[in-house]
Amino acid sequence: MLNGIPLYWFLLVSAALFCIGLYGVLARKNAIAILMGVELMLNAVNINLLAFWRYVAPNAAAGLAFAAFIFVIAAAEAAIGLALMISVYRNTQSVDPDKLDSMKL
Amino acid sequence: MTISQVLFIVISLVVLGGGVMVVTARNLFHAALFLIVSFFGVTGLYVLLDAGFFAAAQFLVYIGAISILIIFAVMLTRGVQLAQPANSQWPAALVVSVIVFAIMALMLGPVAVTIGQRQFGSVSWPNVVEGQPAPAVPDDHLVRLGQSFVDFNQYGAAFLLTAVLILVAMVGAIWVARDRALKDVMEERAELAAEEAQEAMLAGPVQQPLPLAETRSAEAPAASVAHH
Amino acid sequence: MSVIDTVNNLLKIVSDGVAGLVEGILGPGLGADLITMGLGALVLCTIVALVFMGMTWAERKVVARIQNRVGPNQAGPFGLLQPIADGIKMFTKEDTTPASADRWVYNAAPLIIATFALVTFAVFPLAPGVVGTNLNIGVFFVIAVGSASTVAILMAGWGSNNKYSLLGAFRTVAQLVGYEVPMLLNVIPVILLAGSMGLADIVQRQTLADGNPGIPFILYLPLSALAFFIAGVAETGRSPFDLLEAESEIVAGFHVEYSGMKFALFMLGEYVNTLAVSIVFATLFLGGYAGPILPPYLWLALKTAGVFFVFMWLRGTLPRVRVDQLMSLNWKVLVPMSIVNIIAVMILAKLFVTSPGLQAANGGILVTPETQAAILFVANVAILLSGLAIVARRARVLRLAEEAEIESRREANRAAVSGFAGGAPAR
Repeated sequence: MLNGIPLYWFLLVSAALFCIGLYGVLARKNAIAILMGVELMLNAVNINLLAFWRYVAPNAAAGLAFAAFIFVIAAAEAAIGLALMISVYRNTQSVDPDKLDSMKL
Repeated sequence: MTISQVLFIVISLVVLGGGVMVVTARNLFHAALFLIVSFFGVTGLYVLLDAGFFAAAQFLVYIGAISILIIFAVMLTRGVQLAQPANSQWPAALVVSVIVFAIMALMLGPVAVTIGQRQFGSVSWPNVVEGQPAPAVPDDHLVRLGQSFVDFNQYGAAFLLTAVLILVAMVGAIWVARDRALKDVMEERAELAAEEAQEAMLAGPVQQPLPLAETRSAEAPAASVAHH
Repeated sequence: MSVIDTVNNLLKIVSDGVAGLVEGILGPGLGADLITMGLGALVLCTIVALVFMGMTWAERKVVARIQNRVGPNQAGPFGLLQPIADGIKMFTKEDTTPASADRWVYNAAPLIIATFALVTFAVFPLAPGVVGTNLNIGVFFVIAVGSASTVAILMAGWGSNNKYSLLGAFRTVAQLVGYEVPMLLNVIPVILLAGSMGLADIVQRQTLADGNPGIPFILYLPLSALAFFIAGVAETGRSPFDLLEAESEIVAGFHVEYSGMKFALFMLGEYVNTLAVSIVFATLFLGGYAGPILPPYLWLALKTAGVFFVFMWLRGTLPRVRVDQLMSLNWKVLVPMSIVNIIAVMILAKLFVTSPGLQAANGGILVTPETQAAILFVANVAILLSGLAIVARRARVLRLAEEAEIESRREANRAAVSGFAGGAPAR
C-alpha cells in the first residue's frame, strides 16, 4: 500500500494536523470547540506513532501499543471533558472559558 | 505518480480540510461533522499504513463514540451557533501555530537546511532507506500486540493501568454529569442562602431581608383577593 | 470437474473468471485489482438491492399472515411486483425539503446511511474463497462500520430542524450506542473459540474438515447467540425495539421530514442493516456457508433467511418496549451477563483444550471437541438461568413494594373518607 510514499509525507501531514488542532485550542471561544482541537492533536500523534511503527519498527509492538493507549486515553479525556462542560453549563449557563474566572482574586 | 500516492494526497486533503473547518466553522454542529470527516480521513491513512485494526478501532471509537459525545455536548449546552468563531487572541494563535508548523516541517522535511553550525531536516531514520519500500509487516503483528499487553516485561502493567483509567473516567463522568434532582439543588441553594443570612446577622444589625418563600406567601392572599 | 463440484463452486468460478479477464486486459497490478473490486462491489450492491426488494415483500406477507391478513396481492402473482410498484411510487413522489432545514446535513444523511450499510458486505464470505476482501479483522470491521449509521441518524434528526426528528434521533442514538456494547461483548467468546476475527476463519472453524468437529457455535455459546440476537434487533431498530420510529409517540422519528427517494434510501439502509445482522448471526453462530449436500452459497442464503424470518416473527408478535425497559434490559441484564460469560468462556476454553499442541504449550485437560462444546453449553445455560433468576427476584421485590405502596395509599384514602363521614368536609 505504501508504494512510493516516503515517511516524511506522513510526518508532515501529522504536523499540519497537530498545528490545526493547536490553533483550535488557542483561538476558540467555546470549551467544546477547544476539546475538538485537542482531539485533532491526539489524532495527529496517533498518525505519527503508526507511521513510525510501519516504517521503522514493524516487528516490534511498541508503536501499536502506544497508539492503542492513546485511543483509550482520548476516550477517557473526551468523556470526562464533556461531562465537566455539561456540569459547568448547568451551573453557569455558559461554556465560555473566559467567563469561568470565579477563582480569580 | 503511483495510485498509492494519489490516494495519500486525496486522503490528506480530506484530513487537513476537515481539520481547518473544525477550527473555523461558526456553527458548532457543523464543526463536529467536519471533525468526523477528518477522523474518517485518518482512518484512510491507517489503512495506507497497513494498520487495519487501528482503522476499524478509529472508526468505532472516534466516529461511533467520541464524535457522538461531542455532538450531544454541543446540543446540551445550546451553544450551536457561535457569535464569533474565535476569541480576541486568534491572530496570535495563528502566528504561534504557523511557527510551530514551520519548525516541525523544518525538522521533519526532506530538505537539509543549515542554520548557523547545525543542520536540520533530512533526518535519517533507522531502517528507512530513501527510495526503498518499507519493510513488510509481519502477519502476526496483532498477535504480538496482544501478547505484549499480557506480558509484564512489556506493557502488561500499562495495560492494566489504562483499564483502571477508563473505569475511573467512566464512573467520574457519570458522577460529574449526573442529573441531580431539582429538589436537592433547591435544598442546597436554600442552605447557602441561610448561611449567608446568618453571616450577615453576625456581621452587624442590618435590616434582614425577607426570605423568598415568605415574601411569596405574604403576597399570595392579596393576589387571590384581587383575582376574585 | 464433476457437475456437482461446478454447481458448488459456481460463485468462485465466475468471480475468478472475471478477475482473470480483467487482469488479462490490463496486466496484473493495483489498477486491475481496483477494477475487479469495483465490478465486484457493483454486482454485490445490485444483488443486495434486489434482496432488499424481496425482503420488503416477504416481510409484508409474513407479518400479514401472522396478523391474519392477506398482505399485498394486487401487483403481480402473490403481490410479487409490489416492491417495484413501491419503487415507482417513491421515484415519482415530490422530493420536499423543509424550508428551515440544514440543507447539506439533511441531504447527506440518507446517502451516508445507505453507503455504510452496503460497505459491510465487502467482508462476508459467501462461499469458500468468495469474499470481497478477506480482512483478518472481519467481525470488528462489520461492527465498526455499522456504527456509522448513528452519525447519519443524528444528522437526519438535526438537519430536518423538526422537534420530532430531533427527539427520534436522540432516542436512536442512545439505543444504538448502548446496544453496540453487548453486541461487541458477545462476539468476543466466538473470537476466543475461533482464534481469529476473520469471518472466513470463523466459518472454517465450524466446518466439518481439518479436524474441526463441524459444530456451529450456537451449540457452544447459546447465551452469546441469544444476547447477540437481541442486541442485533435493537441495533437495527426493529420491533420490539422500534422506539426510534414509534409512530404513536414521535410521528416517524428521525425521518419524518424525508420523502421520495431519500426516504427510500433510509428504508434501504434499515433493511440492508437487518440483512447484514442476519448474515453476521448466520456466520458467527450457525456456521455460515458450512453444510452438507447443498451448495455453500445456498446454505448461507437459507440460514440468513431463517434468521430474518425470526426477525419478522418478532415484529409481528411482540409489542414495543418502553424506553426505561430498553435501557435497563441493556445495562442491567445483557451487559453484565455477557461479561460473566466472557470470563467463563475464557477460563473454560483455557482449561479444556482440544489440540495436543495447545496442551503441551499451556497445559490444561485434553478433551474431544464434542466434550468441550458440551461443557461450554452447560456453562452458558447455567449463567443464563442464574442471571434470569436474579432478574426475576429483583422484579418480584419491586412489584411487591409497588403493591404495598398502592395498598397503603388505598388505606389512607379509606381513613380520610371515613373521617369526613360525620360532618361537612373541612375547608
